[in-house]
Amino acid sequence: MAENNRNIRKEIDTKLNDPVLRGALARFAEQYPVARLKAYENVEDVDGLRNSFKAMKVDVVEHLEEIADKFEASVKARGAHFYRAKDGAALKEYLNKVCKENNVKRIIKSKSMATEEIHLNEYLKEEGYHVMETDMGEWIISIAGHKPSHMVMPAIHLSKEQCAEYFSKELGRKIEPVIYDMIQTARKNLRSEFIEADMGITGANFGIAENGAIGLVTNEGNARLATTMPRVHVVVIGYEKLIRNTQDAAKILRLLPRNGTGQRMTSYMTMVDGATPIIHKKDGQWVEEDRVCHVILLDNGRLEAAKDPVLKEVYHCVRCASCLNVCPVYTLVGGHVYGHIYAGGVGAILTALLHSMGDFEKINELCIGCRKCVEICPGKMAIPDLIDELRARNVKQKGLPFMVSAVFENVLSSRKVFHTLLRAASLAQKPFTSGKMIRHLPLFFAGLSKDRSLPAVAETPLRDRMANLVKKNKPNAKKRIAFFSGCNTDFVFPDTGENAIKVLQDLGYEVVFPEDQSCCGKPIIGMGDRETAKNVAIRNIEAFEEAKPDYIISTCPTCTETWHKTYVELFADDPKWKDRVEKIAHKVREFTSFVAADYEKLGRLNPTKGNEKVTYHDSCHMRRGLGVHEQPRKLLEAAPGYEFVEMHNCDKCCGMAGAFGVKYVELSMPILKDKIKNIQESGATTVAVACPACMMQIGGGLDKQAQGIKVKHVADILAENLK
Amino acid sequence: MKKVCTNWAATFTSDLVSAKYWNEFKQNATNAAAEIHEVNSWAEAQAKVLELIAEQKATKICGVGHEENAEVAKIYETISGLEGVTLHTDKFEIAEHAEQSHVGISCAEFHIAETGSVCVDTKSFEARVTSMLPEMHIVFLNKNHGVNTVEDAFKIISPVFTSGHMGFITGPSRTADIERVLTIGVHGPGRFVIIAIDETNGGAA
Ligand code: SF4
Ligand code: SF4
Repeated sequence: MAENNRNIRKEIDTKLNDPVLRGALARFAEQYPVARLKAYENVEDVDGLRNSFKAMKVDVVEHLEEIADKFEASVKARGAHFYRAKDGAALKEYLNKVCKENNVKRIIKSKSMATEEIHLNEYLKEEGYHVMETDMGEWIISIAGHKPSHMVMPAIHLSKEQCAEYFSKELGRKIEPVIYDMIQTARKNLRSEFIEADMGITGANFGIAENGAIGLVTNEGNARLATTMPRVHVVVIGYEKLIRNTQDAAKILRLLPRNGTGQRMTSYMTMVDGATPIIHKKDGQWVEEDRVCHVILLDNGRLEAAKDPVLKEVYHCVRCASCLNVCPVYTLVGGHVYGHIYAGGVGAILTALLHSMGDFEKINELCIGCRKCVEICPGKMAIPDLIDELRARNVKQKGLPFMVSAVFENVLSSRKVFHTLLRAASLAQKPFTSGKMIRHLPLFFAGLSKDRSLPAVAETPLRDRMANLVKKNKPNAKKRIAFFSGCNTDFVFPDTGENAIKVLQDLGYEVVFPEDQSCCGKPIIGMGDRETAKNVAIRNIEAFEEAKPDYIISTCPTCTETWHKTYVELFADDPKWKDRVEKIAHKVREFTSFVAADYEKLGRLNPTKGNEKVTYHDSCHMRRGLGVHEQPRKLLEAAPGYEFVEMHNCDKCCGMAGAFGVKYVELSMPILKDKIKNIQESGATTVAVACPACMMQIGGGLDKQAQGIKVKHVADILAENLK
Repeated sequence: MKKVCTNWAATFTSDLVSAKYWNEFKQNATNAAAEIHEVNSWAEAQAKVLELIAEQKATKICGVGHEENAEVAKIYETISGLEGVTLHTDKFEIAEHAEQSHVGISCAEFHIAETGSVCVDTKSFEARVTSMLPEMHIVFLNKNHGVNTVEDAFKIISPVFTSGHMGFITGPSRTADIERVLTIGVHGPGRFVIIAIDETNGGAA
């Protein structure tokens, strides 16, 4: 497929340098969450609503065949025709036949992702039909020759001036860039298309099995008009839109407009059921008769997805596009770089399932796993997890690129080799470091340190300090903690590791450091190499079992999540390891929440007000992966010497996200700059984090962009107040 | 006129439909840019319609709903008598003239407080074009026929919707497709007017 040869780096660059796009997306990213929340103000239990919607979808996927059969029977019983199209080609052939049978020349379309997915318009035009797209945004991009850049607002990447140019070209006269006038001009032009059309093609937001009705939500009214006038109505609906009962539609209608456009309801919600009456002129006479209606149920990869134990979750998607609106990557680059028609993280998944794995390969790295989308998705779809799954399957099938696999197999899976290399790096970087940061890198890596310094690998890693630290374990300790440092804390921020251990010792715990521990394996899992990841996990698990701890504690939320969740998943089908892994994973705790619980019991969580203003950055994995956000704040509020203040967008990703921050510097930097700006505007002079990766990214950004502000791990702040 | 349900009001039950949802409906509908006029009788409703016709300088009008509602039929009689105004109420005439008409008039079945929507039964072609093609769409609504939520609306719809065409209208047609600037009046009417009649105060006179 041609798209496989895409130079995605170049495409990203073009988008980053498009001021119209950047401006529009940045404004939208600010305004959307506010509008959405306002729309939900009068829904009592939003989470309950989402859960019941999700449960409904789970039921549909489980009984998909049965529900599809029922839908088919209901449609037919009401005088409409029904066809199951296995793919785009079958659908096109069928539709062409319908057109011929009904002597159709002119077709109007209202926006439908399913028809875009199979490039239906192009086909119909090639076959000689007059086809007109009637959604304003779709119409604009069709005259511009563009692809949609957003699933709900396809022309968001264009300014009114650019639109006016395309209008002028299309209509052959000068059109001024006045939005209202342009819309009225388009309305007039499209109105005659509706009147003269022989056929209207619509999609469907839902299809009801019990009565065969389909439902459509639109604001412009084009879908309503397409179901109003033409003498032939064709519905193209994907299996994922099916629901059992009419009542079920209410759930979709309460969620979709609010999430999609921040409205409580769109201007029009239209339900069409069977062959409805129309009045039209036949041989010069007005006659009333039932119109011809064809409902086409499109498969194109959907049925296979429904049978997939993991990927069937895509059925929870109502195509509201809110996952794009909050995605830190989408809101920087827009939809075009995602290649096919579905954009954002969910776009990567749909592209893989409905289009091609080749395209998925190109774009899967554009998800940085921040989980913002999961938090907002009406169906609570775990987008980053599905991407991980697809990635892993792809790697299993095709393997990793040679260099990457060589590194994983030879370096990361052997602790000794890996750690020897890190120690060597500590020496090699010497000429470039000042303080604890690498400010200048050899030319090749210049881009990496343009807006961000990189932290230097510490001279003495945490593991080498342990011999001294364990001496401070109090006799008669109440419980034993095995400390899991993770690579960053061990080699880059050993001071933080030391501070965390001191805090735990102060609480009366014995802290030990299993020597054989190594990288948790997250980077390997992130690349989809689950076999190597399993080997790494086994070594860590063995090392920690041997330490016989009551708890395993880490100052890195990503490591914590990996131990807690991913290890368990990796061995879920492995009877030999399953129980063992679950047992040890059960002991894993995240540092700040663990300490906060003890401090609370000891009465050490009383808010204070010191001189130093401190703000807190929520790490994605901490907040949305582990669900921890109150505890670190409580610790900071109670920290003597500090006054806690919130910053705007405190839980928005800092742009590091594992290897992403290094590989896609050009994307990572604008995200970081935004973060630094929000930190500065909070008035804080210290920014606290609870994640070493965020500490690296934000610390590097502050060093280059805002030197007066310090970054500290919550553990560092707590240690300052130990006696 | 063909309808999904010939008598919606007969299906309303007091646990779902009530006058108490009016205020929230009004708020949400107004936020969605619907224009609302509250009247206490059909006579007042007629006066309001005449006012709107004059304001819109409408000379061509389509109207449906008179077969089901004698009060609406009376208003149409009055409109027909207006000088310089043509009113179409026959379905074939509506089919012919709706596109050039300035105002379309129809009836809504009930309203939904949560969203500011009205539920319309548009099984017939003439009801559909009347509500979509003219620049202004006026609906008559019984002010006391309201439900609280979309869930409740579907409790009414589910048992009666077995085939045909129906839906909700929530304000005028709109788009935000150019620079996300809200623009009213795209493919459908640019003005959506609700005349809400409070029939408890002798409105049915
Ligand atoms: S994945 Fe969720 S948020 Fe994204 S478009 Fe689908 S329903 Fe909306
Ligand atoms: S996890 Fe974050 S980066 Fe990935 S798709 Fe969701 S919002 Fe975008």
